[in-house]
Amino acid sequence: MKRLFVGLSILMLFLITSAVYAGAPLDAVKINADKVLDVLRDPKLKAPSAKEMKKDKLRTIYVTMFDEVELSRRSMGMNWNKLNAAQRQEFVKLFEQVLEKAYADRILAYTNEKIEFSKEAIISSNLAEVRTKVITASKEIPINYRVILKDGAWRVYDVVIENVSLVQNYRTQFNDILAKNSPEQLLEILRKKVKAQ
Amino acid sequence: MKSFSFAVLLFAFIAVGCAHAPQSASSPASPAASPQPQAILVASNSHEIPAKAPEAAVKSPETPVNPEKGSVNNDASMDYTEEATGAAKEEQAPAIADSIEPFNRAMFEFNDKLYFWLLKPVAQGYKTVVPEGARVSVKNFFANLGFPIRFVSCLLQADVSCAATEVGRFTVNTVWGIGGLMDPAAGKDLNLQKQDVDLGQTLGVWGVGQGFYIVWPFVGPSSARDSIDIAGEYFLYPLSYTSAIAPWYVWPIVRSYEEVNSTSLRIGDYEALKEAAIDPYVAVRDAYVQYRWKKVKKKGTPIEELAPAGVRLER
Repeated sequence: MKRLFVGLSILMLFLITSAVYAGAPLDAVKINADKVLDVLRDPKLKAPSAKEMKKDKLRTIYVTMFDEVELSRRSMGMNWNKLNAAQRQEFVKLFEQVLEKAYADRILAYTNEKIEFSKEAIISSNLAEVRTKVITASKEIPINYRVILKDGAWRVYDVVIENVSLVQNYRTQFNDILAKNSPEQLLEILRKKVKAQ
Repeated sequence: MKSFSFAVLLFAFIAVGCAHAPQSASSPASPAASPQPQAILVASNSHEIPAKAPEAAVKSPETPVNPEKGSVNNDASMDYTEEATGAAKEEQAPAIADSIEPFNRAMFEFNDKLYFWLLKPVAQGYKTVVPEGARVSVKNFFANLGFPIRFVSCLLQADVSCAATEVGRFTVNTVWGIGGLMDPAAGKDLNLQKQDVDLGQTLGVWGVGQGFYIVWPFVGPSSARDSIDIAGEYFLYPLSYTSAIAPWYVWPIVRSYEEVNSTSLRIGDYEALKEAAIDPYVAVRDAYVQYRWKKVKKKGTPIEELAPAGVRLER
């Protein structure tokens, strides 16, 4: 009887832990980050002419890794409610392009850096933060990914680099711009930025 | 040299004076540090009433659009509320008052030009000539000289283990690290990591609010409180005393070299930040505030959090 009980409780323990760690936030980020590193280190894509191909591959990873609507919504904060559906859709697209243009080359420049996944912190039932460190020859950069659980998948909605939250940084900027401009004018600013790059 | 040090001293006094000003300005020091969010809150609140009507008007055509498009649109049409998104649970740095924004923007431009026209080209040339390992060693050397500032900050924060770590590091790195060129103390065996402390942070730990935002020429973004580090560097950074043993121009040369060296190790960071920003000035300001807030929070409770939430709204 005692044995059965012990056996059962061990089994229970396994069941519980496997349920908790099924698709855990850290794994979700790590799998995608590893994919990015694979693309960056792929010897077949070493040639400078393969840059666009690399970018395409990164884009597909980005789509599965990030929740771009959540990212946009949070970056706008309360201002999000001032946009109508069409404006929201355009904003999500424009914002994505701004981010891509700004960070794609920067990510492509990475080669010898190591990414260390230290731990995950649960913020609430559907929010978590995955803590990582990018280690280069001269420094360590802490990069944390905030992830949200939607439809059974953890996806990134904010990146915190050296304690600076990307979402909050943009929220401050959009707040500042929308204090003096209409949402339409903000979209126009973004359109121009995307074109100018 | 005398006149110069007087100017710096005066400047230091002003900076220190400013750093304390917010605290005496009103009973809880926090509101002084966060007039902007209040302004925003009040503004958004007052706008809410008239703004609600057009908002509702805008929303009504939204519903017919929704079913036609995919799930993305469904998502995109979700309104933002702090409760629904759980944003309230995240840590969030407070906003900073920017009462001298025209001056700050001008200084931002100045530093920007200084970087692109002078610092970056020089650092780039230096980078091509000197290998990375050597530049890291130079960085270590200067970092080792920053020991007094960190040590005093540790003591003022009454953090004994922090102070002891710093003493250990300084001894080990100076003796076995060839005058600080190498960093054996941070290795696996000793694991004495450089303590991330400074004087502005110390004031923050004591409960001094950040005060207003200020961009110093050459130095860059700072706050009224954190400007104390400019004074701190003058008194506690050993290189400031070179004038006692060397001609006056040695200090600016050495200091510039230090700047070029450290810039050579992070070329591209500022460019990326600027490239990604919609308004680079606001982006840098916010990044600074977030970074500093976290640095204080790591060591103690920042004053912004001590006041009950209701206080901010009332004022």
